[in-house]
Amino acid sequence: MKKTKRETGAGHTWKQPEPGHVRLYVWEWPVRFSHWLLVFTIISLSITGYYMHAPYVVARGREAYVMGTMRFVHVVSGFVFFAALIIRGVWFFIGNRWSRWDQFVPTTKKRLEQLIAVGKYYGFMAWSPVRFIGHNPMAGAAYAVVYGMVFVEIVTGLVLFSETVHNSTLTFFVGWIPPLIDVQWLREIHFLFMFGFWMFFIHHIYTAILVSVEEQNGLMDSIFSGYKFIPEAELLEEAEASHDPELLPDSMVVDVMDEKGALR
Amino acid sequence: MEIAKVGLRSALEAREITRRQFIEFCSAMVATLALPSRYTTAVAEALEKTKRPVLVWLEFQDCAGNSESMLRSGDPPVGDFVLELFSWEYHELIMAGAGKKAEETLQRIVRDHKGEYIVVVEGAIPTADDGVYCTIGGRTALDIAREVCAHAAANIAIGACAWDGGVVSAGPNPTGAVGLQEAVPGIKVINLGGCPHNPANTAAVLVHYLTFNEMPELDQYNRPLFAYGNLIHDQCERRAHYDAGRFVEEWGDEAHRKGWCLYKVGCKGPEATYNCPTVRWNSGTSWPVKAGHGCIACASHRFWDTRSPFYDRLPSVPGFGVDVKAEEIGWIGTGVVAGAMVAQVAGNVVRDVLRARKDQDETDQTPDA
Ligand code: HEM
Ligand code: SF4
Ligand code: SF4
Repeated sequence: MKKTKRETGAGHTWKQPEPGHVRLYVWEWPVRFSHWLLVFTIISLSITGYYMHAPYVVARGREAYVMGTMRFVHVVSGFVFFAALIIRGVWFFIGNRWSRWDQFVPTTKKRLEQLIAVGKYYGFMAWSPVRFIGHNPMAGAAYAVVYGMVFVEIVTGLVLFSETVHNSTLTFFVGWIPPLIDVQWLREIHFLFMFGFWMFFIHHIYTAILVSVEEQNGLMDSIFSGYKFIPEAELLEEAEASHDPELLPDSMVVDVMDEKGALR
Repeated sequence: MEIAKVGLRSALEAREITRRQFIEFCSAMVATLALPSRYTTAVAEALEKTKRPVLVWLEFQDCAGNSESMLRSGDPPVGDFVLELFSWEYHELIMAGAGKKAEETLQRIVRDHKGEYIVVVEGAIPTADDGVYCTIGGRTALDIAREVCAHAAANIAIGACAWDGGVVSAGPNPTGAVGLQEAVPGIKVINLGGCPHNPANTAAVLVHYLTFNEMPELDQYNRPLFAYGNLIHDQCERRAHYDAGRFVEEWGDEAHRKGWCLYKVGCKGPEATYNCPTVRWNSGTSWPVKAGHGCIACASHRFWDTRSPFYDRLPSVPGFGVDVKAEEIGWIGTGVVAGAMVAQVAGNVVRDVLRARKDQDETDQTPDA
């Protein structure tokens, strides 16, 4: 497992954690970078893709090249989108504990129980949110579905692209799909999943603001900076549960570790 | 048989087709096959020497549209040439013989010309209930196809129906209709989809066979690449309007009169392959998109099911009743999620207020805490 950064950042310009809290580096740069790539490409892919489905711009003038431009932007954004999934995909396996693949599928009974607890909060059956340093299991599961959608969108998009470019490498990878599922159905899936991204988008912003407000953990800032504000007790619990004192920042190490460096 | 002796030249002359027209036909065939024009002489020489193989034209579940397309294709009709290039011995639509005599002819061909004759199949073949939905002379289409096609030198399935079942096999397909290849597995079939087939392509395949003694190069559906290798959309004269973003919104509107792109009124050119825009119809006069109607992808696999509705961009979503568009489902779904979000925000505001009140109550009750 990778080391997490221990600096508490005294003397830095950012907001200082409240007493009893630590500022913890949760989202490493590839996680944040791929996140923002996805955000921007989903926006540009939606704007251009919707136009390709139902052209809504009235072209004017003899030099107009609206559809051509839209298609160009769509395909370029499509490949950036693909790159973002690859970056994030690698980080599923070599990233820190909060970006690993097991954060997205509930692999333990505990995560499954926690998933239900989170569901109760969102269903107004609990007073307060359950706190997690990384993703809560329900958010993780939702993101797993979204990454699945990203994958499907890329595959169907590449098939549609291969229909127009006749590139032998591309055809080698995706050419077997259209004989199984007709291109019109692939287009339909490609189109419908766009709305799936929109639905997720709306809900994602809602939950991000909600958790940020309710938990006061700097969630909104964390996707820019990578850092979250975590209560010391929670971090200690996590460190104990995972037998990993490396998790703790210097300010806490003194209190909880004995001379040999093991957890007390 | 008489014509074979006198040769192709005089046979064509008997039909008032001049040598000039014959050479024109040959160069049209060479162009259709996408061969260099220097092949014209080779093709003309080969055709003049042809021994006129026997050709059998079978019709099953069809509308005779492919026959009509062949026989009325221009001036002179491509059919005239093909009629003279082959010894066209069995074709229900045009042959003089009928009934028992006609069926005997077919039997004789299968017996005497085994492995030499060419079969053209038009129409789908029903397989449900032992194939009773199409019988000729008391025999099912399936039975006839199995026997006649199995002993042919080459089988050519023309039109959408003979290729993949066409309109006959479109859902719900009550007769279990299928194309030739599926009905008689194991035989070698060359498919010439299209609704109808373009006679220029069929003639070109036959000419290729007579000239080079083999079939042209085929794609994954056993269709000749020269005819089915390119998107309609990439060969369309309205394409510049597509790229520019100039679209017909409604039939007969200003844009339609100006000849703009038909994409928004459902043109399936982007998902259809065929050489329709270059070979065209009626002696190369025009083709549907040029005439102002969107392509319905008549040469694409199972186009009745996969390319309909013909006037919409994408298929209707199955399971939502007739005519529910993907777009409507998408917008409604997004609206529901947005609505749910608003409700949840309201719910959270209420919960925050209630929780604060509850926490307050608890502190009040335990003054020492
Ligand atoms: C969030 C991701 C994406 C969204 C929301 C999206 C959306 C869309 C939409 C709405 C269409 C029009 C569908 C139609 O009615 O025909 C479309 C078409 C297309 N998309 Fe995407 N897309 C995405 C990703 C991609 C990717 C990764 C590629 C791969 C390069 C791609 C390539 C294409 C192509 C080539 C078409 C053209 C289809 C045609 O020829 O009509 N898309 N996209
Ligand atoms: S009319 Fe049809 S085939 Fe022609 S450019 Fe428009 S969409 Fe493509
Ligand atoms: S325009 Fe399209 S549907 Fe019409 S005949 Fe040509 S290929 Fe077939």
